[in-house]
Amino acid sequence: MSARIAVPVFPGTNSEDETLRLLRDCGGNAELVHWSQASKLARYDAYVLSGGFAYEDRIRAGAIAAHDRMMDYVIEAAASGKLVFGICNGAQILLEAGLVPGTGPIRRPTAAFTRNGPAPHFICRHVYMKLAIEPVRCAITAALPEGALVPAWAAHAEGRLAATPEHLSEIVGGGHLAFIYASANGIVDAAAVPNGSALGCAGLVNREGNVLAIMPHPERDAWNFNHLDRRESDDVLAPSGGSLLFRSFVQALASA
Amino acid sequence: MTRAVAIALKIPDNTAFTAAVALRRLGVGVERVERSEIYFFDDGGDVPALIERITADETIFNPNTHRLTVLDEAAPRPGEVWIEPLDPVTLSVSKGDGEKAATSWRLLGRNDASLDQEALRAAAERLLCNPAIERAVY
Amino acid sequence: MELHAFDAAWSEHCSYKSSRRFLKNLPTSGARVLLGPGEDAGILHLGTHDGERYAIVVAHESHNHPSQVVPFEGAATGIGGIVRDVLCMGAEVIAVADPLRFGRCDDPASHESHVARGAVDGIGAYGNAIGVPNVAGDVYFEHGFDENCLVNVVALGIVNEKDIIHSYVPKGAEGWQLVLVGKATDPSGFGGASFSSLALDARDAELNKGAVQVPDPFFKNVLMRASYRVFALLRERKVVAAFKDLGAGGIVGCSAEITAHGGYGAQIELDKVNVAVEGMPPEVIAVGETQERMLWAVPPDFVPELLRVYNEEFGLPDVAYNARATPIGEVTAQRRYVLRYRDQIVMDVESEFLTGSIHDELPYTEKIYHRAAAQELPALDIQRIFPRVLAHRDVCSREPLYRRYDSVVRGRTVLPRGAADAGVLAPVPGSRLGVALAVAGNPRYGSIDAAYAAEQAVLEAMRRVVAVGAHPIGLTDCLNFGNPRRSEQFGGFVAAVEALAHAAAELDLPFVSGNVSLYNETSAGRAIPASAIVACIGSIADIANVVTPGFKAAGSALLWVGSREFVTGGSVLAELLGDKGTLPRIEYDAERAALAIMRDAIARGVVRACRVVADGGMLTAVARLAFDARAAGRKLGAEIDFGNPLCEAGGFVCEIAADSGMDVTGTLQIGTTTDAPELIANGTRFDIERLYEIWSQPLAKLYP
Repeated sequence: MSARIAVPVFPGTNSEDETLRLLRDCGGNAELVHWSQASKLARYDAYVLSGGFAYEDRIRAGAIAAHDRMMDYVIEAAASGKLVFGICNGAQILLEAGLVPGTGPIRRPTAAFTRNGPAPHFICRHVYMKLAIEPVRCAITAALPEGALVPAWAAHAEGRLAATPEHLSEIVGGGHLAFIYASANGIVDAAAVPNGSALGCAGLVNREGNVLAIMPHPERDAWNFNHLDRRESDDVLAPSGGSLLFRSFVQALASA
Repeated sequence: MTRAVAIALKIPDNTAFTAAVALRRLGVGVERVERSEIYFFDDGGDVPALIERITADETIFNPNTHRLTVLDEAAPRPGEVWIEPLDPVTLSVSKGDGEKAATSWRLLGRNDASLDQEALRAAAERLLCNPAIERAVY
Repeated sequence: MELHAFDAAWSEHCSYKSSRRFLKNLPTSGARVLLGPGEDAGILHLGTHDGERYAIVVAHESHNHPSQVVPFEGAATGIGGIVRDVLCMGAEVIAVADPLRFGRCDDPASHESHVARGAVDGIGAYGNAIGVPNVAGDVYFEHGFDENCLVNVVALGIVNEKDIIHSYVPKGAEGWQLVLVGKATDPSGFGGASFSSLALDARDAELNKGAVQVPDPFFKNVLMRASYRVFALLRERKVVAAFKDLGAGGIVGCSAEITAHGGYGAQIELDKVNVAVEGMPPEVIAVGETQERMLWAVPPDFVPELLRVYNEEFGLPDVAYNARATPIGEVTAQRRYVLRYRDQIVMDVESEFLTGSIHDELPYTEKIYHRAAAQELPALDIQRIFPRVLAHRDVCSREPLYRRYDSVVRGRTVLPRGAADAGVLAPVPGSRLGVALAVAGNPRYGSIDAAYAAEQAVLEAMRRVVAVGAHPIGLTDCLNFGNPRRSEQFGGFVAAVEALAHAAAELDLPFVSGNVSLYNETSAGRAIPASAIVACIGSIADIANVVTPGFKAAGSALLWVGSREFVTGGSVLAELLGDKGTLPRIEYDAERAALAIMRDAIARGVVRACRVVADGGMLTAVARLAFDARAAGRKLGAEIDFGNPLCEAGGFVCEIAADSGMDVTGTLQIGTTTDAPELIANGTRFDIERLYEIWSQPLAKLYP
């Protein structure tokens, strides 16, 4: 029996379908779990928190969801070493829950993906995320090549990493900076960062390497038809670069 | 001089309602929460002119959904905690600058009695304030 | 009570009492049409996948007046309403588009700019939150819209053809239950339908705000997903039902239509309606237009399941105060509409009384527009004027605006907003089927000639869809015009409808959905530029054939495929030269020939890149193909030689491999692509980087 993956759906989640579709396409045994059935979450082996606006991002992005009953199960699972992967709003929830960077107590956040800068607006832009850690540092990225470039879409109003200087140096020192923004040819510079994120951060990992939070959406550049720069010879229904990270996640479960 | 203006919703405030529910789950004995956005204006000496400026422009105020209060002091009132962003946004309101300075949360217990400092502190630490980007002022 | 009900049902806004007699001339049928105008949305056959037939549901509306008064809320509720129109046909909502017309926003601190920003942010906030990608739209800034902006909205849905749900009850529906779902009814939208039909006056703006509804995309997100779950249950159990959006006229308008159009009556218990505040007068409950509500008509034995999904599985009462699904009445055999409140009958009328139409034969001045023969402009200083064209408010990059919209949520986007002339989606996961969507309606033409503008709107929307490799299958329209009680303004409306009908007939395309918005005028009685805004839907059999953005290689041929007319009238160039210009007659034989060439070339797979020639002319289209290549990291340029490269002669510019073997009869080779990042037009040399800077910056002042 292959490992079971839950995609929890909060009121306001909006990216559950493509997340589920890509997980299944990559061979994952995944299903949606609704907020009205939170207790079912105890029975899964891994969790993928998808994008959206859980609880309308009331108070702060991810703040209410982080205290939702569904997160009780996810937090317990993370503590027991199960894999937890959050994308966009899912990442914001993981930060609010204190699971990443995980440098403080549970539900006492030490960092935030917050209001974009310099212009405080929603931005929808194609980006590349560059793997900034040793692949095996995080179980979810273990099957990626070193320095992997993952195409994705930034689509958020609150994706800028912000933290106090002490916490930012903890993030760097503790090897929590999992992904940084880069241009299509892998060059890392300010122009590649869509939202003013500190450290050019696109994703963070916890100390144990089993919880990963990324802001951009690789599941929206998951098939060649999604990818604007595809070659004419590419099969449009075949996976594109964004699926690499999901594939690595599913592989980690298979080898666990 | 700097003036603080509080803008609250006249229509039901879902965020305040959700905050109250979440805080009770977290063990804060709150019955009701009132929320308002606090703006600072540097040229706020002339109160009627300031009100005119804010209401003429609709960047932060819509008369059908908002209630506006000019505060006597730019500080939290009893029963309130202000959550201030560490890097506030400056916005242009009728060709003058205003600063979105804080979100004010007023916590009320039974019979609408204001909650004490200890309860406010617990509410801020457990939910209302993310210290990575905000600070709580009582 | 009855006065309020009739006021709502018969206001200009929702009954088209003055315009209906002209609209019936629009062609609305065709082999692809599953449902023409008449219900909440139109439906077009898309294609077959795995033996299942799929259709596209499309609706097109305006939310002009509310957006002028409270831009953020007005525009957001516009998206909310159009999404419900598509949803209630049983479809999954897959895309929205937003044709926008704002006043001049040269001063980013002006009221016009406040409206332009507020409306865009409202559209973004709503669409982004519900998770429906915004893949198409356009925007113009003209003084004619300074006091009366236009916010049109289009939504698309995908549905398996056997699962379409209608907006009226079928035969045998006697005794069915009427179940209201959504937010608790509140006083926020009382008087909305009548309000839209008044010319805006600054003094009334404050008063009118009472009728603008409060958008709640968070709630809608849950309501949509709960409704998808109900659709699945209906399929599983093979239950037939009717579903309709609550729009103008609130509960009365909706429940009267859903029953009367099936040949039945209704009995409604107003006491059963879930309300947000106690003590609301019955007429407010009956016709108030609170957002985020819909009405189901279902057989009684399905009611428990329906209530369970909305109220328990999706927990509507926990998502918004007193929101829920509630039975409020039933379908009756007598064709009477009966409202009861506190054990009293407060209304009892024949159903047709509320849903039938009255006609108003308003006089109009017949418009005769003089069309000139094609003309050529005197020699131009391209070096000086082309940068001004690129920086023009109607030509410059729209990216600062549309990057505030999520264009890729749900993972089905093939061509996102701005990547090409139309948005493209792969609506059926796992299938190669595609759907393209584009909008058009140039107000610079509209202020000269309402009829020409309408015809060009059809042509341009269609060309945009063709340019990405799709086959146009249907149209929608929103007719935004002035005061029908002024015969001069009404004459423009009448001419535009005739022109739309003519263009659609010539091109063999049906209109399947539409909307009329009148009284778009200033307090001084000046109408907006005539604005027949058209959306075109295209089908794609295999998304592998979608034309991807930008030049692909150096040494390709650049072909112009078009009708060979030199149009200066209404062009950006004409404005910059201070000349209004004249407009030509449209030659449909030439248009059809151009379309046939494009279809053939795309089917053969020889089109490497393509853009339509529209605002800013041929040279702008060529520059944009270079900009598109630049965005993909390809440093390519072009050298062209073309009579007047800034004329907005309609048509296409295509990049074709030099050795394609394509029969180029009927096309004109205007140049070739080059591997130097420069554009050479009639011997004048431009640096692409410099042009890009000029083109990409202007709107960033308004949308930082």
